[in-house]
Amino acid sequence: MDFALTPIQEEIRAGVSQIMRGFPDSYWLEHDESGEFPVEFTTAMAEGGWLGIAMPEQYGGSGLGVADAAILMHTVAKSGGAMSAASAIHINIFGPNPIVVFGNEEQRQRWLPPLIRGETRTCFGVTEPTAGLDTSSIQTRAVRDGDQYIVNGQKIWTSTAQEADKILLLARTTPREQCERPFDGISLFFTNLDREFVQIREIQKMGRHAVDSNEVFFDNMPVPVEDRIGEEGKGFQYLLHGLNPERVLVASEAIGIGEEALSRAASYARDRVVFGRPIGQNQGIQHPLAESWAELQAAWLMTMRAAWLYDQDLPCGPEANGAKYLAAEAGKRACERAMITHGGLGYAKELHIERLYREVLINWIAPVSPHLILSNIAEKALGLPKSY
Amino acid sequence: MNIIVCVKQIPDPETPAASFKVDEAAKKVIPAQGIAPVVNPYDPQATEAALRLKDADGGGKITVISLGPDTARDAIKHALAMGADEGVLISDPAFASIDNFQTAAALAAAIEKVGDADLILMGRAAADWDMGVVPAGVGQILGLPVVTVAKGIEKDGDGLTVTRVLDDGFQTVKAPLPAIVSVSNEFGEPRYPQLRQIMMAAKKTVQVWSAADLGIDTGASVMPLEALYQPKVESNVEIIEGDTPEEKARNLAQKLRAAKLV
Ligand SMILES: Cc1cc2nc3c(=O)[nH]c(=O)nc-3n(C[C@H](O)[C@H](O)[C@H](O)COP(=O)(O)OP(=O)(O)OC[C@H]3O[C@@H](n4cnc5c(N)ncnc54)[C@H](O)[C@@H]3O)c2cc1C
Repeated sequence: MDFALTPIQEEIRAGVSQIMRGFPDSYWLEHDESGEFPVEFTTAMAEGGWLGIAMPEQYGGSGLGVADAAILMHTVAKSGGAMSAASAIHINIFGPNPIVVFGNEEQRQRWLPPLIRGETRTCFGVTEPTAGLDTSSIQTRAVRDGDQYIVNGQKIWTSTAQEADKILLLARTTPREQCERPFDGISLFFTNLDREFVQIREIQKMGRHAVDSNEVFFDNMPVPVEDRIGEEGKGFQYLLHGLNPERVLVASEAIGIGEEALSRAASYARDRVVFGRPIGQNQGIQHPLAESWAELQAAWLMTMRAAWLYDQDLPCGPEANGAKYLAAEAGKRACERAMITHGGLGYAKELHIERLYREVLINWIAPVSPHLILSNIAEKALGLPKSY
Repeated sequence: MNIIVCVKQIPDPETPAASFKVDEAAKKVIPAQGIAPVVNPYDPQATEAALRLKDADGGGKITVISLGPDTARDAIKHALAMGADEGVLISDPAFASIDNFQTAAALAAAIEKVGDADLILMGRAAADWDMGVVPAGVGQILGLPVVTVAKGIEKDGDGLTVTRVLDDGFQTVKAPLPAIVSVSNEFGEPRYPQLRQIMMAAKKTVQVWSAADLGIDTGASVMPLEALYQPKVESNVEIIEGDTPEEKARNLAQKLRAAKLV
């Protein structure tokens, strides 16, 4: 068993850390306040070739694995950029996975190189207001009409839709009643987010203001058949294939944020003197921080194991889910503890703890909630009756 | 312009003091558990200098040389990822515990074997032992001019103009080529490797040369290490009391005067 990073992984960490030093806390706080998309950052990442880390080499990517991508995203989130940074590029890293695996050669040629170069910005339209985590209940319809589909419906929470020119879109092509199983009859498209047929409304949210999340309304949006990935009706299976690597990346981001909060807390606890001694000398302060350290370490090992399984082409559903669960809990707790360690200052924007806390909550809720993860683990790893 | 850059892999200078241990009997630093060695922080600046000179010159080749164990390959790969063209690792059990003079001899032999170098760049010192004598040693052996602690290097006709960092200012000197220049941190931030370059560097092969390949016998140490130990630093803190800030300051001033510090 080898726990060491490979030389390439060391270089990834060092190279990305150096880019991130160009985007200090103040950059992220300013963007959180203005709500402006961090374009300078995404440009720097695209120029460095980082967006294509896990994409095949023949389309301009680097052909590395999910473990390498997780190290990249961990470094990005840990820099203090948290989810404002991670979410701005997250979709480029894992999103095109269904295109790589299930798209045809013409589609891969057409779509992947501009995505990797950062010229195409995409968003990911799965969640719907009336379906929630029960993805088989999505209502957005794509109805075949000659050599195109006509899409009607609504997505919610679609992140980066304000900037995106493309959308990876999940829509029903056959009504659920006519399908044998609830997940049949759903198709996956990668297509233009054509403003002529689409309305995009930003959702006001708790954190990560620099990266928008939106309600997206489709009104008779035509989608050429060439923009459908794989076979009609199999979209959900295609989507599933990309979920495990996404869980791994979300986990690594949560751990990065948690570690950053923890390291700031430890440094504050060493310096802040109250009652004539550093607050960090009190076990009431020490122990929760030490516990967070252990939790984050454990979550990281689980994340790397899930990534390793995926990279070896081995099944990794419960591991990837478990990693996401542990990482989000550990990251959230570390931020919470960092806040109380800082006392009043933890609540001040100036120290960035409150921002890390607001942003790590995203990894807790999305893309799948802790409840559904536990239900899935109960079913898949423990053989208990399916509850959802 | 053909440039050779010498880089060294060292124990991470950020190693926490508590993890830094020496084996006094063996006169060796014990590698800290779980802390990977790193590129000497001055060396990427030497590589950066080489890349800028090559860009300005519009041609040539940059060869990176490192003397060290097999792990030193990573230091070479880092320079290759930054944009250097070729890498050579000098590795031989005979070089396991050699001194600066023997290091200089081995590097000089490797520089001659690479051949045709217009300029040899190194970091101003290796941050582990911090002696900064290897550039001068190599210069002595090869009979080349040596300019140390450079913050700026420019091609100037057939030679170089080098700005050096002094304690109290800067000094600008001219040097003919070929020459050896050691580069200081004032040179500026080295570029970071892009992912594509990291991948390309990973695929490049690094040549490995032994003492026999270089045709040298390092001989006995010129400057044998007598003792290696960690000094004990003792400190104590005294809080100066007083009812008002003025009184505290007065008490502090009196203490300092009594201790003959002011
Ligand atoms: C900042 C942010 C960005 C996002 N970006 C995107 C995006 O880009 N694209 C996209 O498609 N989506 C995105 N999402 C949506 C996200 O994936 C969903 O919010 C998430 O999957 C939860 O779905 P829901 O909000 O509909 O919750 P619901 O499904 O309504 O669930 C509500 C609560 O009920 C619980 N619950 C539901 N069913 C069960 C059950 N059977 N047993 C136990 N508990 C249950 C859930 O766990 C949850 O706690 C984003 C969300 C956020 C907050």
